[in-house]
Amino acid sequence: MSFTRLKLSRRKFLAASGVTLAAASMAGGLSSIKAVANDEAKGKLGELGRKFVPSSCAMCVNKCGLIAEVVNGKIRKLNPNPKFFKSRAMLCARGNAGVEEPYNPDRLKAPLLRVGKRGEGQFKEISWDEAFKIVAKNLDEIKRKYENRSAVAFYSTEGFQEEFFHFLVQSYGSANTVRHPTLCLSSVIQGWSSVFGTYPDADLTQAEFVIMLGANRGEALVTPDSIDFQKNRPKGQKIVYLDPRFTVTASKADKWYPVKPGTDLAFILAVTNVIVEEGLYDKEFVDKFTFGFDKLKEHIKPYTPEWAEKECEISASEIRWTAHEFAKYAPRSLVYPGRRTSWYVNDVYLRRACAILTAIVGSFDVPGGIVPKSSIPLAKHDPIFPFFDMSKGRLDVSFKGIKELLPEDERTAAGLPTDSCTFLGEKDGSWLAFREAALRGEPYPIKAIIAYKQNLVESAPNREKTLKLFEQMDFICTIEIQMSETAWYSDLVLPESTYLERWDPCHSLSGIWPIVTFRQPVIEPLFNTKSMHEIAAGIVNEMLKIPSLWDDADSADVEDFKATLVEEILNKPTEEFVKYQLSKYPGAFDQIKKEGVFYLSDKPVYGKMRKEGTRFKTKSGKIELYNLKYEEKGLDPLPVYRRPSQPEPGKYRFILGRHAWNTHAGTQNNEYLHMIQKENSLWINTKEAIRLGIKSGDYVKVKSKVGEQIVKAYVTEKIRPDCVFYAHGFGRISKGLSLVYKKGASQAAILEDKIEPISGNAAMHETFVEIKKA
Amino acid sequence: MNEKRYAIVLDTKKCINCKACTVACRAENHVPHEEGAYRIWVTALELQGKFPDLHQDYEPSQCQHCQNTPCESVCPTRATYKSPEGVVLVDYDKCILCKACMTACPYNARFVHEHHKAIDKCTFCYHRLPEGREPACVETCPTKVRVFGDLNDPNSQVSKLLDTNRYYRLKEDRNTNPRLYYIIK
Repeated sequence: MSFTRLKLSRRKFLAASGVTLAAASMAGGLSSIKAVANDEAKGKLGELGRKFVPSSCAMCVNKCGLIAEVVNGKIRKLNPNPKFFKSRAMLCARGNAGVEEPYNPDRLKAPLLRVGKRGEGQFKEISWDEAFKIVAKNLDEIKRKYENRSAVAFYSTEGFQEEFFHFLVQSYGSANTVRHPTLCLSSVIQGWSSVFGTYPDADLTQAEFVIMLGANRGEALVTPDSIDFQKNRPKGQKIVYLDPRFTVTASKADKWYPVKPGTDLAFILAVTNVIVEEGLYDKEFVDKFTFGFDKLKEHIKPYTPEWAEKECEISASEIRWTAHEFAKYAPRSLVYPGRRTSWYVNDVYLRRACAILTAIVGSFDVPGGIVPKSSIPLAKHDPIFPFFDMSKGRLDVSFKGIKELLPEDERTAAGLPTDSCTFLGEKDGSWLAFREAALRGEPYPIKAIIAYKQNLVESAPNREKTLKLFEQMDFICTIEIQMSETAWYSDLVLPESTYLERWDPCHSLSGIWPIVTFRQPVIEPLFNTKSMHEIAAGIVNEMLKIPSLWDDADSADVEDFKATLVEEILNKPTEEFVKYQLSKYPGAFDQIKKEGVFYLSDKPVYGKMRKEGTRFKTKSGKIELYNLKYEEKGLDPLPVYRRPSQPEPGKYRFILGRHAWNTHAGTQNNEYLHMIQKENSLWINTKEAIRLGIKSGDYVKVKSKVGEQIVKAYVTEKIRPDCVFYAHGFGRISKGLSLVYKKGASQAAILEDKIEPISGNAAMHETFVEIKKA
Repeated sequence: MNEKRYAIVLDTKKCINCKACTVACRAENHVPHEEGAYRIWVTALELQGKFPDLHQDYEPSQCQHCQNTPCESVCPTRATYKSPEGVVLVDYDKCILCKACMTACPYNARFVHEHHKAIDKCTFCYHRLPEGREPACVETCPTKVRVFGDLNDPNSQVSKLLDTNRYYRLKEDRNTNPRLYYIIK
């Protein structure tokens, strides 16, 4: 299937477009054009005319290709890039709303230094020179005072410029970077990798039978899957969807099972049981590629559909039907891996079970199955960093106290580690384990936080604890485009240029349709802002002026560092960085500048691992149904079902979910998106609401062990009676977010900080709440 | 017949209520961020059934570009008029804001544009059409619910869709002869 043939006629037009066409369209007889033209005249002085500039979106993580229409130096509109086949040439609500980001009245416009107490919001504008000096001075003071560079924690979230942020981290020498995956998808990566040695994609364009567990692709947009889910859905494809909520995905699915929250594993094990017991698996594939089928065969015996029915509240006959259909359509049947899986403390075992079920029917690396990602290799910069003596190892790796972040139930009595997380990413760490260790100062104190784009206060469970952590800090610095809560509580706020005002490095987006994307400035920066690249350069150049920052490193190393990082990368324009990344491919830089994308082929890649002699990245080198490393580490080598804790009578489980109108806590303060969703509301089942005397629109108090929030109720049949839900990103406490300050309710305020201890992911569906009329 | 006859065909079964079309429209046409100011919208239709047997559909809507045009008929100043291609437009300069058209429109597709001091509504992005560009909502729609084209061209995608599918139009009993066609699958 080819996706690039779309809309070629428009591409032709774009190539020919110019100012004359703008004039032509005004002759079209629409007086609205006049007013539009007036608005656009307010753009940056000096630049006249109309142009179309390709770049990519940053309103969520998908990085879809866009083409900006710029008139007289002002962005008029962001349109989808018809050549960007990964997102099937679309731009969603957020992508379109991005047009406001540079012009948002709440933008940070200059570096800000706190003058009042932390959290009071009193700042004064300072110059970039002063700002860089303040950061360098604080880094030096902490290094001298605590004799440990790792006392500074560097928080970031994924994005094109995160690489420069990490160059800054390595220039200082802290081991403590805390990234977003353990608030999101680390358990699904761990679970699938523990079976296949890789976290694969799902080919929804050719699958005939799909099981989706809570992966709400109709609302939580992931490209290309969300698009393929409807636009390219093959005729006759069946989707079975498990979710305690009736979401958009449920409305499009062939079967919606309102699964009892936390019991999806029972369902998957029972489907596996039927397929194994009835011999419906792919014997040839199992023999050739997998390890541990005999053990699985024994292990799966007790997990019958009749047993599962009592756990997950999906009937045994439906489970059998699912198993039979799943096997019938294999290898064009799959369990969809999903993305945000920070659900339960044993989430990794659920993901393992999903991978195992897909493996035994042989739906691997074939059209319509699960397919390992392909990518387009880019030239990688390899700067030299000094080795600093005063740098201790990661805090959360040596921390032994995660037990308090686990519930007291049968899942932690066996099967899960209770001292420290089993597998932590070197750069990711575990968000919750890290905060717990930092709060206790174990095994060493954390005294400063530098945050890039990550809103620690609003994005992680148990907001009180994050604010408590902030109290322990000598210095907090945030790099942002708006006054997030984290910026609000910072000592120094550095304003970044928005994604439409800067160059960004290329990213090779891996997947079934690998593609390279990048960013170039659509307009020049409107205010006194800089890119993360320029900020890193500014800070490092100031650091180099302070001798005590380099006295625990070898001086020859420092010279190499200056030559390879500072001169070669930091002090050069980002454009040069991009050119080097694409240097393997003649003409690629010009192509990406002109077309916004670079790719080797627009055809999907199948079958590269389904070959004789393939060694999978597992201990046995095979697809591990039975995991040898887990056995070694005292974990369950095959997924064991253990019942999750249940809410006491009168309480409800609080569940999470994403939707297409906002990204996490990052986009609510945008007027276009605000017009769609002004605040969130609590979904509560009709029967429960009647019992509590609550009507839609009533304000209710939602109270958990760690906090309470007041929010409007939405009484609906679309949710099970035993759980409640509201969307993320509201109930904000930064006065700098004028549209959403104190509007609706915050998740961070009420979620308990429970941990999934194998991958270190947060377990965000383990909070129970009381609901009362407010 | 040289004239074009523009229409939009919608396959609402694919609609995921993501609102991309509404934001694209707002940005393209500078629709103010005000309550009640919208050229297009997506409605989550009433939920059918009781838990757990539920069903819900989504319905994008906008000015239907009726060929029997009640808004045009009632307009005292001829501010509302039809383009040669059948696109219903408003000349802001002629509009006196009497709002007769708002009352006459069966689809609630018109609003008062405070900035223009005139009635505003969907134009099929008429300003884009001479450049060969589709309306913004059509171009951006992630799941391609919307197809725009010329009914007078038998080879256009809209003509083909209407040849091969059953469809309905909104409030057909009002005899407005709309140019938005909703496919039934």
